[in-house]
Amino acid sequence: MTEQPLLEVKDLKVGFRAGKELLTAVDGASLTIYPGQTIAIVGESGSGKSTLAHAVIGLLPGNGHVTGGEILFEGRDIAAANKSQIMSLRGSSIGLVPQDPMSNLNPLWRVGHQIKEALVANGVATGKAADQRVIELLEEAGLPDAERRARQYPHEFSGGMRQRALIAMGLAARPKLLIADEPTSALDVTVQQQILDHLDTLTETLGVAVMLITHDLGLAAERADHLVVMYRGRIVESGPAAEILQAPEHPYTQRLVAKAPSIASLRLSSVKERAHIREQAEQAASAVADKIAHGTAGLGVGSSDIVVAENLTKIFKLRGARPWESVDFTAVDNVSFTLRRGTTTAIVGESGSGKSTVARMVLDLLPPTSGRVLFDGVDVKSLSGKQQQLELRRQMQPVFQNPYASLDPLYSIYQSIVEPLRTHGVGSKKEQEAKVLDLLDKVSLPTTVMSRYPGELSGGQRQRVAIARALALDPEVVICDEAVSALDVLVQAQILELLNDLQAELGLSYLFITHDLAVVRQIADEVLVMQDGKVVEAASVTQVFDNPAEEYTQRLLGAIPGASIALGS
Amino acid sequence: MWWYVGKRLLQTIPVFLGATLILFSLLKLRPGDPILNLAGNKPVSQEVRDALAAQYNLDDPLFVQWVLFVKNAITFNFGETFSGQPVFDLIKDTFPVTVVLAVMALAIDAILGIILGTLAGLRRNGAFDTVVLVISLILISVPIFVVGFVAQLTFGVKLQWVPATVGGDWTLSELVLPAIVLAVANFAYTIRLTRTSVAENLTADHVRTARAKGLSNRLVVRNHVLRNSLVPVVTYLGINLGALMAGAIITETIFNIPGVGNTAFLAIQRGETSTVVAIVTFMVMVYVLMSLLVDLLYAVLDPRIRYV
Repeated sequence: MTEQPLLEVKDLKVGFRAGKELLTAVDGASLTIYPGQTIAIVGESGSGKSTLAHAVIGLLPGNGHVTGGEILFEGRDIAAANKSQIMSLRGSSIGLVPQDPMSNLNPLWRVGHQIKEALVANGVATGKAADQRVIELLEEAGLPDAERRARQYPHEFSGGMRQRALIAMGLAARPKLLIADEPTSALDVTVQQQILDHLDTLTETLGVAVMLITHDLGLAAERADHLVVMYRGRIVESGPAAEILQAPEHPYTQRLVAKAPSIASLRLSSVKERAHIREQAEQAASAVADKIAHGTAGLGVGSSDIVVAENLTKIFKLRGARPWESVDFTAVDNVSFTLRRGTTTAIVGESGSGKSTVARMVLDLLPPTSGRVLFDGVDVKSLSGKQQQLELRRQMQPVFQNPYASLDPLYSIYQSIVEPLRTHGVGSKKEQEAKVLDLLDKVSLPTTVMSRYPGELSGGQRQRVAIARALALDPEVVICDEAVSALDVLVQAQILELLNDLQAELGLSYLFITHDLAVVRQIADEVLVMQDGKVVEAASVTQVFDNPAEEYTQRLLGAIPGASIALGS
Repeated sequence: MWWYVGKRLLQTIPVFLGATLILFSLLKLRPGDPILNLAGNKPVSQEVRDALAAQYNLDDPLFVQWVLFVKNAITFNFGETFSGQPVFDLIKDTFPVTVVLAVMALAIDAILGIILGTLAGLRRNGAFDTVVLVISLILISVPIFVVGFVAQLTFGVKLQWVPATVGGDWTLSELVLPAIVLAVANFAYTIRLTRTSVAENLTADHVRTARAKGLSNRLVVRNHVLRNSLVPVVTYLGINLGALMAGAIITETIFNIPGVGNTAFLAIQRGETSTVVAIVTFMVMVYVLMSLLVDLLYAVLDPRIRYV
């Protein structure tokens, strides 16, 4: 190509000082972006992709430094530039659309004012002209009623609207390069799709080059023509998107292509694998059911429908416009489903659809307004006394979304896992210790983690600990509330695999709550699609994926990134 | 916004009633015969006793007495001291100097505290930050009466830069030293609060976004770091002003300032319970009013509060 590159990163090294140590976050990265080109940088958390982006716009955190290499923007080296030179590039030449729309707007200033600042600082417009331009920019970013919106504060905006405002801000001074750092990973899938579509059209018409940072290979391949894959601070592979997907060379990329749920969900092989697991799980489960039916331990009669929810409804009273008024909010509206022993039922929906409220009612942590939950034939509400309630808790265990928040940071891993055993008074000290060792083995963690604390473990390891803790009491039902949503794609795939193996081995039944249809195909048998508290579609997983009946389900499916990509195998 | 203001106003009513109820109960629970107390512990004839009981509604049911107590408080009818002076006049004479002292102390506290705290927060773990932290730790650990006496001895007696005590005819310049002493204790907390708040906001995502927009460092700090950091600091300062106005008893006593705190202290020494209760009731009213103002100011600073 004879064209002059817009951005050229040559052998860039970025290090973070931690005490006396220098940790290398980016190690010899090189890439080139031409004017108007969209490239995507793909990698898991900690791969250095965000650090690379921040180095380009000169916004590394205080302890981060460029330790080697060059960043040439239109031929000038940014890495060697002084503060005021970088400042003059920011906004006007290089724009940024940050990751989390919730925390990236100043809560104390009106949205319009924050965009106006960018115009004034870059000398685009001032005063009344700037106010007018702000409205145009917001309209351009796809925000209806822009004039009124500009006068509002960020807390009056939804996540999607805030992200649109941030896009307007990033493009305000018409930069030549826009860095989009995971611009939609905090948003619902359908909103994500709308925003990315809009960003695509906008950057194309303006001729802006885009550097898209994402952890999702499917999304990257769909949005960019050129992919750069980063792994542990190094660029391991780069090239045209289609080529990388068809013939990945580096082992990490190969694993990504093979395992990323958004892509794996397209494969027929994952359906076959699931059917196999289900067969095993149902066998194991019927053995458990036999034991319960003929024994005295535990609640229930050993029936094949282990959890039955009948017409569950939850109405919350919200504060109204005036202090003495209250508004009824129906979070869950007449939801019924059956979870069969040894199978997985997934509840899928966007935020606010009521899926987590259903989970809490099934767990008996929230009383339903009407309707009932039957656990193995026993009405959960009819349980009397602490003994029976403890029994229910023992047979039904939750795994929550955020492995960073759901483990007590002051408890060692051993303490965390052994706590439910102590609470329920299961076994002697020796037996408890043996049980913990067995559990760690089941979730494929080395026994050495026992004495460590959550802070020392990675997200995936923590989620394994959370699963081990849930399994400590030999439950029959595990309720996974967004159990893999906070994890990187490959870790997601590993945890899903682990959950599948455990189900086959122990005959567990899962109620799997998620906003991400992509992960459903690898783990679920039945799917409930929820919208605004109601079940819009309930069917088997194959039917939902191959033949979705409802328009909303079709939209959710269409929003899985990478759905349009043709795959080799 | 107006709902927020209305709600806050309504909320002050139960706070005020609750506080007066506690004070009233304390008044009723104190040992001894109230009439003997009124007459200065001398035997009284039955007629005088009846007259006093009627005058102070002592024969009415307790609830009615409490309602009268609240009514008197609202109308500033606080009764009289032993020497026959209306308590309200006493407060009127002593309150201005307390207000001036409190405002001066608050000004010193706010200006120095916010400036030093911001500088320390912007360069966290630097030399300046460390020095400021150590000094503020020392200031926190030394009790106010020690600071007061030492300052009085050094600047008032030895160096004679300022008069050692204030006395009846006070002037602004005489109040400077007491105001500094009063500010010292709070000022250390203001520094620490501002420092933490600034340092926290400096790493906030929206500050990085502001930099990415191309704003200069000065603008980023002024518009996106300082304003956000000041929300908790202003709350703290406001509550403090309430506490300062409700009487800086120790400082006023050390420097012999004829303020509300000093008057309350003297009344306690003389055992004039009714005067003490009246002054405390007044202080409660000031305090409630100040926290109301702080809440309103909070809503001005942070738009999110207005819609709660």
